[in-house]
Amino acid sequence: MRVVIAEDAALMREGLIRLLEDRGHEVCAAVAAGDAMLAAVAEHRPDVAVVDIRMPPTHTDEGLRAALELRRRHPGTGVLVFSQYIETRYAAQLLAGGAGGVGYLLKDRVADVAEFTDALTRVAAGGTALDPEVVGQLLGAGRHVQGLAALTPREREVLALMAEGRSNAGIAAALVVSGGAVEKHVASIFGKLGLPPSEGDNRRVLAVLRYLGS
Amino acid sequence: MGTTGPVTAMIALTLAALREPFGGRARRELLFCLVEVLCGLAVLAVIVALLAPGTAESVIRAAVIIAVLVPLALTTGMARRLGATYRRLAERLLDERIAPPPSARPAGGMLARLGVGLRDGPGWRALAYTLLKPPIAAVGLYAVFLWAAGLANLTYPFWWGLFRNHPPGVRLSPVLVATPFPGRVLHVATYPGTFLAFAVGAAMVLVAPWVTRAVVAADRWLLRGLLGPGRLAERVRDLEQTRAVAVDDSAALLRQVERDLHDGAQIRLATLAMHLGMAKEKLGDDGDPLDVTGARELVDAAHRGAKDALAELRDLARGIHPPVLDNGLADALATLVAGSAIPVELATDIPFRPTPAIETIAYFCAAELLANAAKHSLASRIGLQATGRDGKLRLSVTDDGAGGADPDGSGLSGLAQRVSTVDGRLEIASPPGGPTQVTVELPLRA
Repeated sequence: MRVVIAEDAALMREGLIRLLEDRGHEVCAAVAAGDAMLAAVAEHRPDVAVVDIRMPPTHTDEGLRAALELRRRHPGTGVLVFSQYIETRYAAQLLAGGAGGVGYLLKDRVADVAEFTDALTRVAAGGTALDPEVVGQLLGAGRHVQGLAALTPREREVLALMAEGRSNAGIAAALVVSGGAVEKHVASIFGKLGLPPSEGDNRRVLAVLRYLGS
Repeated sequence: MGTTGPVTAMIALTLAALREPFGGRARRELLFCLVEVLCGLAVLAVIVALLAPGTAESVIRAAVIIAVLVPLALTTGMARRLGATYRRLAERLLDERIAPPPSARPAGGMLARLGVGLRDGPGWRALAYTLLKPPIAAVGLYAVFLWAAGLANLTYPFWWGLFRNHPPGVRLSPVLVATPFPGRVLHVATYPGTFLAFAVGAAMVLVAPWVTRAVVAADRWLLRGLLGPGRLAERVRDLEQTRAVAVDDSAALLRQVERDLHDGAQIRLATLAMHLGMAKEKLGDDGDPLDVTGARELVDAAHRGAKDALAELRDLARGIHPPVLDNGLADALATLVAGSAIPVELATDIPFRPTPAIETIAYFCAAELLANAAKHSLASRIGLQATGRDGKLRLSVTDDGAGGADPDGSGLSGLAQRVSTVDGRLEIASPPGGPTQVTVELPLRA
């Protein structure tokens, strides 16, 4: 996997390079600003870019803006936005353009190296990686989305757990019900949200995104 | 140098005094004086018109009229409008900007308006100012007289020859010459006598601007006292301003703390977690091959990172509130001084402990002033004094450096603002070439 990193904290940047190279990925460029990231992506055409939200010069959301610009200019390149805090509005903006090839993770997640690289790989392949914190906040924000009203309270619970990334078995354990019951709920949710059966497990992510109103 | 100094100063002073009557300021003050006289006469005319007949009946009538006029002036805001006119005049002619008093509360009914008007402090003060106009105007009239008569006297030698060219032997009555003492006149009968008139005129013209200035100064004093916002309102405005500073200041401080945490300790801890995560992978799950060297390297990095994060957090915490401050300002200042790059001579004498807020402000002022001195002054020695006396805490930082500290620079003006939030004061004496002394005076309790 070929990666471009945009992160202004040198310590973190070096750590990420080391982590990714250790696992056999190629870091084409590691820069400290949004503009430089866009230039590096245009030059190296990586599979995925890792972008810190808060970077110079204003230290507010230039990383996010660069990420949105990157999605506009290079729709095929995955972008993993990487931040020390989670902002619901940012997540919604990132997801607004469509579900594929986008991720939003807390920086803390690098502590679990395997999970982090898995997420990055998923984003590079056009999948999605949402931090559980994002999901929690978005669910807390109480969004009202078409199709959602049709769900029973139990189905909503299942959907929320799904959004956190739990498997059917995990959901069954959390709700103290059988695996079969969970499967039934999940199928019903897909039906009510109008998600036809398809190859791969992307339907779960799509259901969650539908739920989140993207 | 030692002898010429005072002489040059004397000459400069004399020249300045001689130039004074011809300056723009003197002209504007004279104009103000003239307006003053007109206003005074107008007020006097109204009072005289009310009291003139002098009979008991007319006094009663006047009393009734005043009893009606005064509340009317107050309730209709006439007194306030008069005050506003005076303020505009002072601003136009004297460049004296006086903030208007807070506006009166509007009231609905007739009686309510009367009530509000009668309780309207600024209205009453404006009325008092109006009534004080005539006595000041009397002095103002004298100033105008000095100007006019003085200038007239100066002309005597010039027209004497034109009008007094009679053949010898003809005896004419002497000409009257005004003196600075109204009512006393000089009699001039000869041409040399006109030089005396000229001299008297010159003296009057030289004195006139100072009398004018005295009148204007008295009026200024009344203007500020009676037409300004009043002490209470001014205090309220001061408090509003300093409160805004305090609120902004604490918001900025919080933002700074967030920034420091975000860019510092948080990054270090995230990186530390990453290193540990990578090390864990190197050590592998059960049965996996071990990469001990790689793991040790990563644990090393994590260990270093943990220590750095601790140091950073410690600095940050100390920046928010130095723990040594809990032992009192003297101890805290001693610790602060110990860390200074330039030797600091510390003298503390604080018999009573100020409140924690004051101690904190004093500490951060000292820290900033020491840092300033170290950064900008090129000083070789710094003195830091802290004394608590007469309900005040005085903090004084002196250095033998280059001087020229800018009171309007962001550092010092920020400090002055912070100090003003607790009614403290900051004084800066920093002539080019040094030495610099900055004194902070704080109350013992906020």
